[in-house]
Amino acid sequence: MGDLASGLGEAFSRLAAGDAEVYGIAARTLIISLAATGLSLLIGCPVGLALARGRFPGRTLLLSMVHTGMGMPPVVVGLFIWLLMTRSGPLGGLGIIYSPTAMVIAQFLIATPLVIGFTAASIQSLPPLLPDLLASLGAGPLQSLRLLLREARLGILAAVMAGFGAVVSEVGAAMTVGGNLRGSTRVLTTAIVTATGRGELSQAAAFGIILLALAFAVTLVLTLLQQRRAG
Amino acid sequence: MDVLVEDLVLERGGRRVLEVERVAFPDGSKTAIFGPNGSGKTSLLRCIAGLESPGRGQVLIGNGRVRRGDARVAIAFQEPVFVKGTVGDNLALGLVLRGKPAQARRERVHRLAEECGVASLLDRSASELSAGEAQRTSLARALALAAPVTLLDEPLSGFDRIGRTRMLEEIPALLSRHAATALVVTHDREEAFRLADRIVILVGGRVTAIGATGEIYRAPPDPETAALLGYSVIRQGDGSIAVPPGALRIGRGEPGFEFRVNREIDMGNHRHVTGTIGETSTGIRLAAEERPPSPGSTIRVFPARWVAFPGS
Repeated sequence: MGDLASGLGEAFSRLAAGDAEVYGIAARTLIISLAATGLSLLIGCPVGLALARGRFPGRTLLLSMVHTGMGMPPVVVGLFIWLLMTRSGPLGGLGIIYSPTAMVIAQFLIATPLVIGFTAASIQSLPPLLPDLLASLGAGPLQSLRLLLREARLGILAAVMAGFGAVVSEVGAAMTVGGNLRGSTRVLTTAIVTATGRGELSQAAAFGIILLALAFAVTLVLTLLQQRRAG
Repeated sequence: MDVLVEDLVLERGGRRVLEVERVAFPDGSKTAIFGPNGSGKTSLLRCIAGLESPGRGQVLIGNGRVRRGDARVAIAFQEPVFVKGTVGDNLALGLVLRGKPAQARRERVHRLAEECGVASLLDRSASELSAGEAQRTSLARALALAAPVTLLDEPLSGFDRIGRTRMLEEIPALLSRHAATALVVTHDREEAFRLADRIVILVGGRVTAIGATGEIYRAPPDPETAALLGYSVIRQGDGSIAVPPGALRIGRGEPGFEFRVNREIDMGNHRHVTGTIGETSTGIRLAAEERPPSPGSTIRVFPARWVAFPGS
């Protein structure tokens, strides 16, 4: 309890003092997580729509794979990416292991199944005749896609929250492919692990509180957006 | 614009749901597509709207083949579907998608909302509409497009009796003002006759009759079509006699039948006596003051009008 209270105090004092390292780690965390979530939306929404509306062989198998991916342990994703991108791996030539890019790729793979799954579920909950209605009113394929996503926006915002929540809080993949390099790939979760390992519990609690505040702030914005559109 | 359905075959899950050789809907005609549940009425309408891909055949509108999202067609579905937003948003959506200028859009929406009785609902969320209001809104949205071909699928489903009676008067007037060629799907004979001047009868995915409503009613082509139109079809040897509703009389005549009385129903302004002739369930209409026959008794009846179908 004492560490938590002192952690809270340290968090406020570091933030108030404009601690460059803390702000740097928080900013890096936010940028990497938002980039991964954004990319997962770009790919996940159309794929979710196709899986929800399409009728093709293997669709159920693909949906099952997506649902499995929604619960994939991040450290396993991190391990696969590491095996691919390590210097001796098939993509080692890219030289992006232990970089923020590798972290974005790993987190993208963690968030994408969540975005696909939530998008597919929200599209499937729309009236089955909606695509026919939109076509009959004159919507082309792209307009139909936009309108269907607009109709499913509550579910898609939930997908954004789930995707962002998953990547901002994961530590396994970030540690494995990022390497927790100070000033380069250290993010809030890996900073917590490092501080805890060193026995600097107040500092770990401070990072934890900043991470919670960051996650809460982003989720609050998304929830406000979701509920305003629902109203 | 003329609509022509040619050599159309539609299969679903390996089952043939529609097989239509040739049906033409002339420009400006109002046609009811009539048949029992599961006869393929909605499937035919969806093919004409370009929303189905039939395995064989084609639907021509004017000289061109219909395609999905064809701007020459407007459709109101049996179960109204709306996007999130107000009634006004939904009425305007098709006009927005078809690139109508804002001013023309506003005028069209207000005119159709007024004429279809939903002007007071324009600012209400479409998800809060009653079944009847939703049907009116869906009708207004389809008519707002002013498409050369307007398709209405069971437009009176969801209305209570009073609303239905009102719409039976309003829809023909709306169609004559805002629709050129109109096709109305219905399983109700009264609706078919009151909403259209031509009728296409579908049974088991095939067209069994096509023509002017009155002509088809007066001379149904076969006993099955007669039964669909409300006739009591009574077997006589190899053939059958079809008696239209309200045409049976108590007494002796030619042809005459034995009518076994089941029960008498007081309808307020008249009495309805139900019973059977052979295996055919039928009924006799009596004036309110007439003494009804006793349940369980057998009486002689004869038809004032009938259509005979000789056996093979």
